[in-house]
Amino acid sequence: MELLLTALAIGLVLFGIGLYGALSQTNLVMIMMGIELMLGAAMINLVAFWRYLHPESFSIQMFVLVAMTVMALEGAVGFAIATQRFRTSGTVEMEESADLKG
Amino acid sequence: MISIQLLLLIVLGLVAIWFGWRVFMTSSMVRSALSLMASMIAIGGLFLVMEAEFLGVLQIMMMGTEMSIMAIFMMMYMMDPGGLGEMDMSHQKNLSITGAVIISLLIGGATLIIDWGPIAVNIPGPHEQNRLLGLEILERSMMIFETAGFTILTGMIAAIAVALSVKNKRN
Repeated sequence: MELLLTALAIGLVLFGIGLYGALSQTNLVMIMMGIELMLGAAMINLVAFWRYLHPESFSIQMFVLVAMTVMALEGAVGFAIATQRFRTSGTVEMEESADLKG
Repeated sequence: MISIQLLLLIVLGLVAIWFGWRVFMTSSMVRSALSLMASMIAIGGLFLVMEAEFLGVLQIMMMGTEMSIMAIFMMMYMMDPGGLGEMDMSHQKNLSITGAVIISLLIGGATLIIDWGPIAVNIPGPHEQNRLLGLEILERSMMIFETAGFTILTGMIAAIAVALSVKNKRN
């Protein structure tokens, strides 16, 4: 049981750090880094659930692959938005993005 | 008596947490990106310790590449990528810390309350794992796998469309 709880505790702390980063940073790329950390934490939990609770169920590993896909997509679309934002306003600081309001 | 698996989990977990923390504690963007890469590689190491070999290697390969690209973007878009100006790029710190702590406490509380049931001891070997994951992907989770592939294609098209120059669009 201590192995499962250790893995979950690591995931929990990483999720907390990622959440702090996503909420506190003003730079778009840094916010993306926070989200990546949260997704990494979720993947640790999924692998721990697979390893210590249901090693016979490979749908959990499939779920990890989907989470990795989400990470890659988040990176691609996020960088595309950053590129366009940099072109139009010369910065990727989110505090200067009030002009996006309707 | 601490088992080797538990010891490695703790060590790699501390490495992942330390580098994850360093991401937001340095004013150098390049160091942030490299810290995130180290944290993600440590997470890949955790997968290997938990005997998910395929996922561990995949995580290390994917994140090594992705974070290298991220470091390049950081240098492209930051006025001070080296952090020499010690510029603070954060806001609502107290609110963020409070929010992160409250959510973490809620999840931690739920983790301790839940009865997780019996812990599995024996798992399939790496070769068998790959075979079973392949069968899972091509049988029961085929639709999910196809959807993930289609979503990647859509994401690629969306990313290119979003990143296109405004001038070109108008022309």
